[in-house]
Amino acid sequence: MADTAMKSLGGVLARQGILVAFILFMVGFTLWNPRFIDIDNVFGVVRSSAILGVMALGVTFVVIGGNLDLSVGSMLSFSAIVVLDLHENPAFGPALAIPAMFAMTLCLGAINGFLIGYLRLNSLIVTLGMLSAIHGLTLTYSGGQNMDIANQNDTWFDVFGRGSALGIPIPVLIFALLAAILGILLAKTPFGRRVYAVGGNDTAATFSGIPRARVVFMTYMISAFCVATAGLIQASRTMGAQNTVGQGMELEVLAAVILGGASLLGGSGTIFKTVIGVLILGFIQNGLLLAGLEFYVQFVVTWIIIILAVWLDIATKRGKLWSPIA
Amino acid sequence: MTYSTKLSLACTTALIALGGAAAAQSVTIGITQNNVGVDSYQTTYEQAFIAAAEQNPDVEVVVLDAGGDVARQIAQIQDLIQQEVDAMIIWPTNGQAVIPAVREAYQAGIPVIITNSNIAEDGFEFVRSFSGPDNITQGARSAEIMCERFTEMGIQDEARIVQITGQPGYTTAIERAEGFEQRLPEVCPNVTLVESQPGNWNREDSQRVMEAFLVQYDDIDGVYSGDDNMGVGALNAALAAGRADEIVFVGATNFAVGYDAMERGEYWGSIYQSPVDDAEAALQTALDVLAGEDVPFFNYFDTPKITQDNMSEFDRPVF
Repeated sequence: MADTAMKSLGGVLARQGILVAFILFMVGFTLWNPRFIDIDNVFGVVRSSAILGVMALGVTFVVIGGNLDLSVGSMLSFSAIVVLDLHENPAFGPALAIPAMFAMTLCLGAINGFLIGYLRLNSLIVTLGMLSAIHGLTLTYSGGQNMDIANQNDTWFDVFGRGSALGIPIPVLIFALLAAILGILLAKTPFGRRVYAVGGNDTAATFSGIPRARVVFMTYMISAFCVATAGLIQASRTMGAQNTVGQGMELEVLAAVILGGASLLGGSGTIFKTVIGVLILGFIQNGLLLAGLEFYVQFVVTWIIIILAVWLDIATKRGKLWSPIA
Repeated sequence: MTYSTKLSLACTTALIALGGAAAAQSVTIGITQNNVGVDSYQTTYEQAFIAAAEQNPDVEVVVLDAGGDVARQIAQIQDLIQQEVDAMIIWPTNGQAVIPAVREAYQAGIPVIITNSNIAEDGFEFVRSFSGPDNITQGARSAEIMCERFTEMGIQDEARIVQITGQPGYTTAIERAEGFEQRLPEVCPNVTLVESQPGNWNREDSQRVMEAFLVQYDDIDGVYSGDDNMGVGALNAALAAGRADEIVFVGATNFAVGYDAMERGEYWGSIYQSPVDDAEAALQTALDVLAGEDVPFFNYFDTPKITQDNMSEFDRPVF
């Protein structure tokens, strides 16, 4: 009886290795500094992870579809700069600036999606190219200047980054809501199954009549939509932006998605696991900061922990700490 | 005759010849910048540099931008040597990696002026002058601003502060922190610097670091940030936590956002560093070198203290 219970518990653990790793980190950091688990700190971490997290939700679709999106970092800079600039433009104001920015960011996603979906170009090359191209576009648009909201007390724009409802910060609510919607879209709808099919076996999917090009196109549109949402939160949180605000985030986003267990080869991964991946990254950074480690050391430790987490995940899936086949 | 005397003699002779030429025709000065457009400071710098050159009919400028890429900057330095410019101004992308290219310029007899951020000491012998801000003094002045404010408030014997530094490994970040950390115990020996973490010149990063500080420490009286952009990030975090009133915010490189926050009474002080002064100083240094004047090796332009008390003497920064 107890044996079966242990076995089924083992089975659960094997499927949720990354969740186990997450719980271990949380306990470890709390023992180190009890303030880590303080409710304000937890909300603080989830709130600042929300920007990365929202981006990671979109990239999860792209990765499961068998592609990469390295352009999300510069796309974030673009959307933050654009929404702030239009906010300051009397012809737009906040109410029009937000939809206009979403439309412009979705256009960039459409370019990615068209090149990779319909023209079947390599996603690594296309999005690497777009990383620089969008950065250039942002600089051209802003003339290299920082964007700031001049009268911060005269606008409701700060609600997306700084507001809260029912005691929960709005960025956290946006992240949770988007995760729920996209989680259902991925797991419970025909579209979601097509994304897995295309990422799992492109050729087989095409022969089964799945419109591969359209599915890939849509994954990039979802990614762009998520980036636009993240850009909105970012801009609202700081009420200003530099041209480089998203620089380097593409790799952090990818790390969170892979950490969650999505395969770089496509065809596997879930939204829930990506959320866990995002939270692990956020809590590691925060935990090391609270531990008062020197920055250079933090950098090393962060990535050691990430590699350990991936190992733990793989090890629980295999049921062994190392692979029997070298 | 020592090597350096020979050298200066040779240089002087070359300069007299150049100076003679300059009187008859215009001089050409080439500049290769670090990464225009990456921030407002560098963008404003470039505009001011071009404007200053246009006002002087005897000066032709070749304006290049390395885009943050050290390989491209080295190629640009070599191009400027090929174009036989009369003097060269370099805003180094990397203080160490550009040294071989600077040596080539030196060997080609082209005087090199480094602007804004200096190159590593190994390269000093190939450089005529460094024109830029004195970051150690800036850090020291920020410490004085902080200390003076604490003294006014009567908490100079118990105040606890945190520091948010710039990008790790970046000379400006290191020097400002060094100046601050050296000067603070001299003026306010009982103020405790409890922790330093980098904000990477990024407002969002700085805000995240400050949030962690606010969780970790119940008592923070002051925050020193390596520039105002990060300082405003820290201020945002404190405002969100409802603790901004009890904290003195001091920064450096006064940005427009910092200036505005000072005007609102939320941010205490900073260091006024104008990219226009920076650009004009670099051009003037190059012209002085070409005119054969005795230019000091460290040709700093002044970066005064700015606080809520004296801010009316300064224009709102353009970046």
